[in-house]
Amino acid sequence: MKKFAVLQLSSCAGCEVALLNSEDWIDRYRLAYMPLVISSHDLPEVDVLLVSGSVRSEEDLYHLRKSVRKAKEIVAVGTCAISGGVAHLGDRDEVRELFLADSERRHVPRMLPKSHPVDAVVAIDRYLPGCPPTPELFMALLDEDSDFKPGSSVCQECGRRKDREIRPQHLTGFMKGSVQPDLCLVNQGYLCIGTSTRGGCRALCTRPGHPCVGCRGPSNAFIEKESAAWFVSIRKVFTSMTDIPAEEIDAALHSPQYAMFLFQFSDYDEQGTFHPKEKVL
Amino acid sequence: MTTLTFPLSRIEGHAQVVIEEVAGQVLSANFQATELRGFEQFVQGVPAEDMPVIVPRICGVCATAHHVAAVKALEDAYGVTPPPLALKIRELLLLGQLIQNQATSLFIFTMPDRMGTDSLFDAVQGEDVARTNIALHALRVRKAGTDLISAAGGQFIHPVKAVVGGVSGGIAAETAESVRQGLSAALPVACDLFDVYWAMSLELRERIGTWGDDEPAYYLASTGASFPTYDSDILRLMNPDGIIRHSFPARDIRDNLTFQATDYSYADQTSYQGQVLRANSLARINIARVMGTPRADDYLARFREAFGFPAHAILLFDLCRGIELVYAIERAIEILEQPLDTGWTAIPHTPCDGDGYGLVEAPRGPLIHHYTIRNGLIARAEFVIPTVHNLLAIERALTVAARRYINSERVNLELERAVGRVVRAFDPCIACATH
Repeated sequence: MKKFAVLQLSSCAGCEVALLNSEDWIDRYRLAYMPLVISSHDLPEVDVLLVSGSVRSEEDLYHLRKSVRKAKEIVAVGTCAISGGVAHLGDRDEVRELFLADSERRHVPRMLPKSHPVDAVVAIDRYLPGCPPTPELFMALLDEDSDFKPGSSVCQECGRRKDREIRPQHLTGFMKGSVQPDLCLVNQGYLCIGTSTRGGCRALCTRPGHPCVGCRGPSNAFIEKESAAWFVSIRKVFTSMTDIPAEEIDAALHSPQYAMFLFQFSDYDEQGTFHPKEKVL
Repeated sequence: MTTLTFPLSRIEGHAQVVIEEVAGQVLSANFQATELRGFEQFVQGVPAEDMPVIVPRICGVCATAHHVAAVKALEDAYGVTPPPLALKIRELLLLGQLIQNQATSLFIFTMPDRMGTDSLFDAVQGEDVARTNIALHALRVRKAGTDLISAAGGQFIHPVKAVVGGVSGGIAAETAESVRQGLSAALPVACDLFDVYWAMSLELRERIGTWGDDEPAYYLASTGASFPTYDSDILRLMNPDGIIRHSFPARDIRDNLTFQATDYSYADQTSYQGQVLRANSLARINIARVMGTPRADDYLARFREAFGFPAHAILLFDLCRGIELVYAIERAIEILEQPLDTGWTAIPHTPCDGDGYGLVEAPRGPLIHHYTIRNGLIARAEFVIPTVHNLLAIERALTVAARRYINSERVNLELERAVGRVVRAFDPCIACATH
């Protein structure tokens, strides 16, 4: 039985909870280490190590470096591990100063000057983006399932009807209440970026009516490009489907709820390297 | 001086317990939260209306509670009251959160302590068929809560459907029916498991000779005496003798409790007039007179008969979670029998600057989000996390356990297990507590 382990760095544990929401792995893989659910403090040799969370403290750095030696394959799981995720919001200079001023304590692991994705520290074999990835994606990852064929984008998986006749003039705020059940969210004026976001999540936010914020990162069409290409593409979608001014779209895309997922682009990366598409599920 | 360090597992997040002793005298027992992400700092300057999408990322275990608290804080600032249908759907969201959390705490975090294993998954993959069945049933009950969160909240970990003024949509009849069937099937399974858990807890008590005795404490919860609603509006503080001492709104929290930072942990601690406080399941059950659903009320009566009122022993937190698990399943079934796809789901609002407080009763106790909004942006955010109210209580209970198992001759190896049991009884959440 293939052995796997989960190393949780600074994170919310949402990736771990997503894994627990699947029962399918339980009788097929042996979970050897995952402090959230197992009382064992040493990571044994494993086939696959899933790493979630970002490298935020000295302790994270230590655990990550020590753990990767025990595994044949290392997978970065979730947006925080891949790009820093929501923690990247804290790397704005003005915020970082406040944060570090507040983190001075004597007997706790020291905070690093900034948050890092795991591949800034160790080599990563595969990436599983999502905030968090769904149980289905976890299973496709563990199974190395070649039959798993997600849609190329969230938009493809969504199934809401597009209507050429309905052209909103302005963006609808996220908190504006009732959403029409079957109509494309772009037609309803929501800033949905499912057209260029990686598929595989089965459009679980857009189908119940929340615009895609891009947590799975860029689709294969954009993943090896700079974020500018992605911005251009979103602008094009809105120009062809709506009469919303381009400046309004640009301004909204810089809103933090998008920004925290935008970091998945190569030009936000510390090394400026992109994630090769064949390594990303 | 000897320093004993116990890394913690089967809790949410990174923490350890450090006990110092000299010649059998316990000097201190510290609970150290060893992670920090800095949400209060890094949401500064964020558009206020982005908060309900950002703050669930404080914690993937308590995400639903943060999502609803954020929306309520904005509604408080904007002066908006959601329509009845939206309130029902939010109640379902919080019930889903409770089912998922109490099932996780009972079965994944604490049942292994009663089985003598390192994890529930050992039981699944082990040779003992009876135990394998228990473990698989436990996961099924937990899944019913997760399905409820997905149906009511959209995304399954970080929900998206609560919006300012209500929710973004109802629940279609066929979805509601399928979730209801899942919960109806889970209810008897949950009751059987709770009976097994109760029996295992009695065996544990026999073995260690205590329910985790500690001094009485003050209790803090935002649920009331009957029909607990987790979409709360007022906090209640109960005296150690069971009398409600105070009721106050969320905005008065700092007038009523003292907040203190420590040098050995990234989490603050609170106290009430210098006294130890407790939140979470035992606080709610002590405050409750009636749960309002048949099976949960049977369990409540059984609990009162066995342990009296108010109950104070540490391991009773775990049993109270079982009562709440049963209640949450029963109550969710009741709501899902009503139509949830007709009527207004949200009312219009106009954003404005100001100050807002959002309170919900999260599984770990009252959770408060407080935002100051200027020019539509968050100028200041404050997250008052329920785990923080329990940290002094955890340390006091750890000291009691340490004194029990440390003497001048030796440290009894049972201490390590006792530390785990005490901490898990409080079900602390470190990602939340440090945020």
